[in-house]
Amino acid sequence: MDVVVGITGINAIDNPGPGIGIAKSLKEDPELSVQIVGLAYDAMEPGIYMDWIVDSAFLLPYPSGDYRAYLERLRYIRAQTGLNFLFPVLDAELPLYIKYQKALEAEGIRTFLPSLEQYKLRGKDRLEEVAQTIGITAPRSAVVTSYEELARAAEDIGFPLMVKGVFYKAYKAFSLPEAASYYSKIAAEWGYPIIVQQVVTGEEMNVVAAGDGNGNALGMVGIKKTWITELGKIWTGVTIKNDRLLAAAQAFIERYRWKGAFELECIVDLENDTVYLIEINPRFPAWSYFATGVGVNIAANIVRSALGLPVTVADYEPGKLYIRFTDDFVVDMDVFQKMMLRGERR
Amino acid sequence: MDSLRQLAINEEGFVFNPATGESWTVNSTGLYILKLLKEGKDEDTIARQMAAEFDVDLETAQRDVVDFVEKLRSYRLL
Repeated sequence: MDVVVGITGINAIDNPGPGIGIAKSLKEDPELSVQIVGLAYDAMEPGIYMDWIVDSAFLLPYPSGDYRAYLERLRYIRAQTGLNFLFPVLDAELPLYIKYQKALEAEGIRTFLPSLEQYKLRGKDRLEEVAQTIGITAPRSAVVTSYEELARAAEDIGFPLMVKGVFYKAYKAFSLPEAASYYSKIAAEWGYPIIVQQVVTGEEMNVVAAGDGNGNALGMVGIKKTWITELGKIWTGVTIKNDRLLAAAQAFIERYRWKGAFELECIVDLENDTVYLIEINPRFPAWSYFATGVGVNIAANIVRSALGLPVTVADYEPGKLYIRFTDDFVVDMDVFQKMMLRGERR
Repeated sequence: MDSLRQLAINEEGFVFNPATGESWTVNSTGLYILKLLKEGKDEDTIARQMAAEFDVDLETAQRDVVDFVEKLRSYRLL
């Protein structure tokens, strides 16, 4: 079946977006004949030029701007390419796509996303509730909106503690003045509320998975990052089979009837046999190709599920290594010119 | 013991814990003890088997086994 899939997050840089991993995964499904349309926000996103993976590429207006202009651009891309499925993978664009997923479908562009209610579960203020529901635990935390509340929460939780924005930013504070400065910094940049959270220790372990919206998993793989970059991004990792971690991901899919890809970031305290939920990302992580590489093609299963094609949820072996590497290539200036002048490469 | 049973151990002494992603290397004596522990043998039986098979007295073998088992405990494998 011919599928024309638009994928954002093709910024394969030192802080990579998830797009290229998804594109590679779809290309590896032997039964899906996929054309990849790369959707970029900057003419220098490397994925635009990776024509062995990305068949055509288009620039999009920023999702924070006028949504009508955004939808109009997608209509144009559909008219040019036959785009009939879209993977939005960047945090900043998810609210827009979730809100307009039905409108897009009416235009012939399918997505596979959680509902707005499901999406809200990833808020750090819901972490304890979600963790409890899926059978694990979360660091003790408090939602604060004033210095007084911050001081009270700090007294209750103790130092060091994490000061976090609801969706972005996290700092470790060792004293009340330090916590207060981070509180102001996050509030100024991202607004209220601010989350104050207990610092937990253990091994960081993550799961990438997807749900079909009816309580069934479309694949899941657990990993441990063995080497991270200065930006905190995975450079090497290893597949693991931690029963409690995978059971939590399965419960997340079943209990919330989650639709689409997600990543659970956890810290596992091996000494006390406790799994702490640190973050829920309602999208593919940048390392999602790791799952495909060990035989669990979650991206292809999402497309298959959306199109009503058979889905096989494969198992994987623990102990497989993931290794990133840097690479480079050369293209003619005219590709860049086309992107700058016309906003597209076909 | 559950953690120990699921360890992946190769013949050269590379040990991988699939539940945690941790890996270690062990020397030939460690490998010998680890394999027997995985088979469910107790410390005393392993020490006696070591003393019978290798040029080592029982007391030294028992000390080696106890030391190694303590190390495994510190890694929460026992």
